Amino acid sequence: MIGRRRKQVMNAVQLSLILIAILIMLVPIAWIFMAAFKNHIDVFQLKLFFTPTLKNFGTVFEPPFYLGHKLMNSTIVAFVTVVLAIPIATMAAYSFSRFRLTGETTMLVVILATQFVPAVVIILPFFVMFRDIGLLDTRIGLILVNLAIVMPFAIWMIKGFIDGIPLDTEEAAMVDGSSRLQVIRNIVLPMAAPGLLTAGIFCFIIAWNEFLFALILTNKDAVTLPIGLALFKAEEGDLWNLLSAAGIIIMLPMFVLALIIRKYFVQGMTMGAVR
Amino acid sequence: MAEVILKNLTKQWGDFVAVDGQSLEVSDKEFLVLLGPSGCGKTTTMRMIAGLEEPTEGEIWIGDRMVNDDLPKDRDVAMVFQNYGLYPHMTIFDNIAYPLRVRGTPGSEIEPRVRKAAEQVELTQFLERRPKALSGGQRQRVALARAIVRTPKVFLMDEPLSNLDAKLRVTMRAELKHLSRELKVTTVYVTHDQIEAMTLADRVAVMKDGVIQQLGSPDEIYNDPANLFVAGFIGSPAMNLINGSIQGGQFVTTGGTQLVPVGGDDRKEVVLGVRADDIRVSEAGQGNIDVPIYAFENTGEATLLTVQWGRQRVIAKGDRYLRKEQDDMIGIALNPEHLYLFDPNTGSRIRT
Ligand SMILES: Nc1ncnc2c1ncn2[C@@H]1O[C@H](COP(=O)(O)OP(=O)(O)OP(=O)(O)O)[C@@H](O)[C@H]1O
Ligand SMILES: [Mg+2]
Repeated sequence: MIGRRRKQVMNAVQLSLILIAILIMLVPIAWIFMAAFKNHIDVFQLKLFFTPTLKNFGTVFEPPFYLGHKLMNSTIVAFVTVVLAIPIATMAAYSFSRFRLTGETTMLVVILATQFVPAVVIILPFFVMFRDIGLLDTRIGLILVNLAIVMPFAIWMIKGFIDGIPLDTEEAAMVDGSSRLQVIRNIVLPMAAPGLLTAGIFCFIIAWNEFLFALILTNKDAVTLPIGLALFKAEEGDLWNLLSAAGIIIMLPMFVLALIIRKYFVQGMTMGAVR
Repeated sequence: MAEVILKNLTKQWGDFVAVDGQSLEVSDKEFLVLLGPSGCGKTTTMRMIAGLEEPTEGEIWIGDRMVNDDLPKDRDVAMVFQNYGLYPHMTIFDNIAYPLRVRGTPGSEIEPRVRKAAEQVELTQFLERRPKALSGGQRQRVALARAIVRTPKVFLMDEPLSNLDAKLRVTMRAELKHLSRELKVTTVYVTHDQIEAMTLADRVAVMKDGVIQQLGSPDEIYNDPANLFVAGFIGSPAMNLINGSIQGGQFVTTGGTQLVPVGGDDRKEVVLGVRADDIRVSEAGQGNIDVPIYAFENTGEATLLTVQWGRQRVIAKGDRYLRKEQDDMIGIALNPEHLYLFDPNTGSRIRT
């Protein structure tokens, strides 16, 4: 009986902790969500009931903010990053997973280790280098930087998915008459597809949210959305209503992608051998 | 349509020798079974023939071509894997059709050939399913259908019946035999089930530790084992192996003085092999010697009598209606036509 009581108490504690965590995470988002539909004067009043307005979403695209241009930059940079990263990472991951490479472990660890270098440490060399070869404030420059950021992550993640494909299946395909490339196209890619999609979405999210490099390496032409947020300052202080509207524009694709991932992530994890 | 020739084939992983200088000729249309205990190198041999494993040494010939440097796809073999190796993202139809499609078979031919193969293994009602939705036995049949949908030079089958239940295994065995006589394609078949080997094979190669111990027809393997290992491995129940010596043409057990005439020169150490079927069971006093029953087993189709002979136990097969009790005395007589002598140190057969 005592054990059962204790279990109930534990459950209650657990539940409250979860609720607190959810609250801490959701309150700022809820605040932003409301602020985005408020007038400037209403922002600092914690009113739950107010006359919502869509005006903010128009204003952010107008001069002097030009959010459209930044939205464009962010979209292009994140999209091209993913489109380049996934095929390259897939090839690398396949090699790591299926072939015995000399220094394989070392390479894998080094690839992972690049993730441990704090961005602030290498950002200055990047700045100098990009200035010298004229990549400063260009989308190509940003795409290169983002590739460097997402590749290790993508390689490791996709390698995990390919490791999960039984070798038997590939060998059967080879004996059945496929070349190595046909094996990859007909067997590995379809079986790893949910994994590739998941990895692609994660890379997109990372590239979309990337802040530090974009802050230092761009100033006008290639400015992305997260940097654009800093523009919403005026003499009267931070324009929180506009900031929030822009914030929602940034978050919206993330919500959609998160929903897609949720579906495929599980599928990607559980898809595997048929024995 | 081709013979498979292995010349001095060796596979090593570091110091470990999985296949040791194996030479073997499988003739055209022959059904050859590689038989041996777990880990003796059967799968490794087969994977080398398929091109999935690179030999450390030696040559592999398929037809009149040395295929050592050919990719698996260019060897024109079809393989049934020990773990099926099905394509989980394709339907059964597409699984079976894959070898045809990837080899560029014209589209109009694919459908009828897949249906025919599916019919041969009785899978027609599952063609739209995915492998995940099939039972182990059905998956194994998909793997089989995928192999027979083409007419390759060689079939390679790695324990294709191992995951079936006992009953299905017997039916599938007969189907496989029927199919193989119908298709007439050179086949290398791996198993550790000796009944499968005996029933399916034209010839059996018995392997141990990466070395072929004996190569011959099922009859030869069963009735004329080349050495102690083959003698002990083939047959169920296993052949009785009794330690003793030869004195004046008589076999004397190590512990006792019981005698059986075997002929040949005197030898200090010798192993006498005799199958359970070749021991005649009778009432006490009517055989060569009288022995007590250690255990009496009734399998339904026959009775198995384990008897205590000196310090050793020997299994004899009795009539299916024979009824005895533990510790009863019975007489046994060894059939002198079917006794085998082995050197216990080298394991080789002593022929007198
Ligand atoms: N990739 C490998 N690396 C090292 N040793 C291996 C490798 N593959 C197989 N072996 C070893 O080679 C030996 C033969 O293996 P093989 O798979 O050919 O056995 P088998 O006769 O097919 O056995 P089973 O009946 O259990 O399938 C085994 O001892 C195994 O441990
Ligand atoms: Mg095996």
